[in-house]
Amino acid sequence: MTNMHEKNAIYIPEPSPFDPDENGHFGKFGGRFVPETLMPVLEQLRNDYEAVRYDPEFWKEVHYYYTHYVGRPSPLYHAKNLSDEIGATVYLKREDLNHTGAHKINHCVAQAVLAKRLGKKKIIAETGAGQHGVATATVAALFDLECEIFMGAKDVARQELNVFRMKLLGAKVHAVESGSKTLKDAMNDAIRHWVTHARDTYYLIGTVAGPHPYPMMVRDIQSIIGWEAKAQYLEAEGRLPDKVVACIGGGSNAMGIFNHFLREPSVECIGIEAGGLGLDSKHGASLAKGSPGVLHGQLSYLLQDDDGQILEAHSVSAGLDYPGIGPEHAFLKEEGIVTYDAITDAEALDAFVWLSQKEGIIPAFESSHAVAYLKKLSPEALKGAHILINLSGRGDKDMIQAKEILAEKFL
Amino acid sequence: MKRLVAYLTSGYPSIEFTVDAALALKEAGVDTLELGIPFSDPVADGPVIEAANLKALQNGFKIVQLFELSSQIAPHIDTLWMGYFNPFYHKGIDLFIDEAKEVGVKGFIIPDLPFEEAAPYKPQIEQASLHLIDFIAPTDPKERIEKIAPQTKGFIYLVAYAGITGAQKSEDLSQTVAQIKACSDTPCYVGFGVNEKTAKEKAKGVDGVIVGSAFVNVLLDDTLTQTQKITEMTRIARTIKEAINS
Repeated sequence: MTNMHEKNAIYIPEPSPFDPDENGHFGKFGGRFVPETLMPVLEQLRNDYEAVRYDPEFWKEVHYYYTHYVGRPSPLYHAKNLSDEIGATVYLKREDLNHTGAHKINHCVAQAVLAKRLGKKKIIAETGAGQHGVATATVAALFDLECEIFMGAKDVARQELNVFRMKLLGAKVHAVESGSKTLKDAMNDAIRHWVTHARDTYYLIGTVAGPHPYPMMVRDIQSIIGWEAKAQYLEAEGRLPDKVVACIGGGSNAMGIFNHFLREPSVECIGIEAGGLGLDSKHGASLAKGSPGVLHGQLSYLLQDDDGQILEAHSVSAGLDYPGIGPEHAFLKEEGIVTYDAITDAEALDAFVWLSQKEGIIPAFESSHAVAYLKKLSPEALKGAHILINLSGRGDKDMIQAKEILAEKFL
Repeated sequence: MKRLVAYLTSGYPSIEFTVDAALALKEAGVDTLELGIPFSDPVADGPVIEAANLKALQNGFKIVQLFELSSQIAPHIDTLWMGYFNPFYHKGIDLFIDEAKEVGVKGFIIPDLPFEEAAPYKPQIEQASLHLIDFIAPTDPKERIEKIAPQTKGFIYLVAYAGITGAQKSEDLSQTVAQIKACSDTPCYVGFGVNEKTAKEKAKGVDGVIVGSAFVNVLLDDTLTQTQKITEMTRIARTIKEAINS
């Protein structure tokens, strides 16, 4: 295994013990549940990705942009004030410091380099909060690709700044009016557009979900987070953390930081779902409260009714407002390899303020869910523990919403 | 004689209407009926069929009603259930097999269950003497057609173009059709974008057509009474049946 502190080390994915089979199945999860028109396209993409998966030349090119454009490696920060308050050693992996403000830029850069290699001129993407849309529009500008973004009409209204950012970057934004008008419906329309333009369009999926090879490919790409963090943690503390915590919508930042720790028996990986208004009310916790099912090309856990109709999710954080989850997470849950828990809107908002005021770091609402988990742990669990949190994004995008929700608190 | 397959979204505007429309379409020359199972996220469908799906669900459509209405239809016309995989998976493929046998439905069309993912389910469906209809798309290379076509039963659903249902698109399918015919005797029906205007052209070289959005457009037309809807749908069916056989 290469280490980021080795001279000139560049990140290249490695085979994982949890790699899916050739049809993309992680145990019973994953797969390719798509209209036949897309099957040859996915088969081609699988071959194209396999060809670059371990190719140093490909990753060297990606590395160039990571270093000079994204600002990698992202720092590992010892959150001393937080640590002192709770009696544990807490480190934050600062993906919030990346260009465009979140981990999404990682898989956008790598997929755009791939799309360019494949000779595609157009890219499309779905987006919820708009972070993935902005990151996609960014790489489209960088690599001179035509870009169309699908976004639920409800999200277009509540994330108008990000809509403007995408347009400013040169992307066309489609407001999706069907269904619940959120991320789920944006993904439906992105798939419809892709089926229609499959021959010349690259679908840049924004998480570890969708049909094979996306869940594996996006996980491979995002695993640079854990690859860096592991070396940085060892360097800083001379040991590995006891717990690694990340929030989960589709699950890309979590897979990204977990992957290199899953083989370490001493490390517990903990994924945090959106508890919304509470697990007995409206939420986005597909693993906690859903059941296996098929949506958006994959078999995974879903929020659904007794007829298998998909239910609407709820979270204060648009990035976690999704009724499904990446299939590898479903597999890791069933195998008992990763621990999953949920944090409510209220708990996340508390953590949002807490981290802002304790460390001077305003986290994204999504990442606030991971931070909030620190307060959910018992004093015994915290005592002397080493905890690594993936701070997947910054809170700039949430300012308008935060101002509304927290107005009374900061008169 | 070339065959006409008609798609109807079950339960919209009402269960009774679906039964009446199905029986009237049979009289108008429809050979096979695809009873659509409304689903919240129909990604292979265009805006017309999607709207009908969502409206049926808003009206409170439940899967159990599919079984009830099918029992009134399947004895009279060759009937298949067409729906996305999640309801099948969630309620259990066994339940759908049992109910299909019970009411006389002949098989399933599941657009998001491609050949590879269908493999675990196909044996039990075929053991029950039901068909699981396979799709072939114009994006499929020869090797893939040669893998799928020889194993097909019932008919092959040939997708007319890369896209979603009900679009104004057309592609030259002659090569795809030739590749299918070279390795399979299963009848090949073309679907997606087939309407009164396009039917004759789309039926060239194949054994039948599948018409969905053209009928569902009528279902959704609120300016028509239920009787007028059925009259219009049967007129479309007759016109298409005649066009493809002229």
